[in-house]
Amino acid sequence: MKQLYLDNAATSWPKPAAVLAAMRRYFFRCGGNPGRSGHAKAIEAGRTVLATRERLAELFGVQDPSRIVFTKNATEALNLVFRGLLKPGDRVVTTSMEHNSVLRPLTALERQGVRLAVVQATSDGCIEQEVFCRSVDRNTSLAVVTQVSNVTGAITNLDPIGAHCRRMGVPLLVDAAQSVGCLPIDVEALGVDFLAFSGHKGLLGPQGTGGLYIRSEGGLEPLVRGGTGSLSDREEQPEFLPDRYESGTLNIVGLAGLGAGIELLLTRGVGKVGDHERRLHEIFLEGVEKLAGVRVQGPRDPLRQTGVVSLTFDGLSPSEAGQTLEDRFGILSRIGLHCAPRAHRTLGTFPEGTVRLSWGIFTRPRDIVYAVKAVKALAGERRGSG
Amino acid sequence: MSRRQDKQELLRRLEGLVTFFGSYHAMRAESILKKNGRQAVLVAGPREISPNCGVALRFDLAEQEEVRELLERNHVQYEDFHHYPLELRDR
Repeated sequence: MKQLYLDNAATSWPKPAAVLAAMRRYFFRCGGNPGRSGHAKAIEAGRTVLATRERLAELFGVQDPSRIVFTKNATEALNLVFRGLLKPGDRVVTTSMEHNSVLRPLTALERQGVRLAVVQATSDGCIEQEVFCRSVDRNTSLAVVTQVSNVTGAITNLDPIGAHCRRMGVPLLVDAAQSVGCLPIDVEALGVDFLAFSGHKGLLGPQGTGGLYIRSEGGLEPLVRGGTGSLSDREEQPEFLPDRYESGTLNIVGLAGLGAGIELLLTRGVGKVGDHERRLHEIFLEGVEKLAGVRVQGPRDPLRQTGVVSLTFDGLSPSEAGQTLEDRFGILSRIGLHCAPRAHRTLGTFPEGTVRLSWGIFTRPRDIVYAVKAVKALAGERRGSG
Repeated sequence: MSRRQDKQELLRRLEGLVTFFGSYHAMRAESILKKNGRQAVLVAGPREISPNCGVALRFDLAEQEEVRELLERNHVQYEDFHHYPLELRDR
């Protein structure tokens, strides 16, 4: 039976051959550790890491690539901001659609005296910009919002939120784990202060890559301190970027691959990738919208959603539905709560969760037609037997 | 002339040397200068000049002001500019 991978929101697959080729090139021909020596292999490794950083800067509209620091994933990037910035008494505004990578560290900080305000999204999982902005006042220390929900694919309109935060003088942290690579973003134009991203989803790189864009490092303490290859005569952490936040050897082989993934996106154009994914969304929504026995959670609008849909079936649990999709149709989905329990409470799908299908740059329209057929069969059978 | 001799000749001509605090800035400096059509070669940083990151950048001393301006405009942080001909190193 053929297999159809529709779990790109967990990690994208397949990866472009160019990603593996770049990793092989580093592994077999280059080697070396940037900044640790001045020999040819260290220099070549440094160029490899720089090229990835420069491509990210181009992708995000950042003038100075040193403002992008590498972490092992988006979660670490988010933690770097929370733990590096927030102190007891600080007020943080976030939303009910956030992933546990936002809510768990904030809940832990709440116990240490950080005040947390969680803005409730609508029952279809949309963050209303007016409601969010109303909650962000001059006494807020940080505003945190996801650009695309990993549960519903709903897109947050960052323009008004960025403008409001800037007016209020409140730093804005955007969780872009799900949006990078399929939504164009210009952090400088949007007024984003911190952008946390993963490398292994829309950016097509290997796992273990991610990072944080930092508009201003003022007041942001490093999460980890240690060797940087710079200012080695001192026992204090360097103050300058990116070294201030990049201690220990980087995942150079991973970053080599990530660079190749981004290069492919830059060549194709993120706008084009977004158009492709929107088209897939249209096909899927058209196919299932009038279907009885199945419900699409979320805004059900290809212009307000990207890459991800969440489904519930009448009389069929998400785990049964997901198992049948795999066993009978070879469709690999993700079922359950998707590390976002509060998002499911918002949608009314807690605690069972949903069946999530997520596509990517290499998913074809005919794959979506096939997925629609499978969903139809599942919904129809249940009705027939019920 | 072999490639090795070519490189030696180039290094001999590039009498300017920029030192940096961190390797990102050295790599970025090379990238910026090359994009702007300037000659630049990354070399192991001479310890007697700077205890900092392992890499320094050789450039054409005649272009010092343009090089400095390019680096500053592109947020590259450098430690210092030196006149450091290869012969000085060979001694």
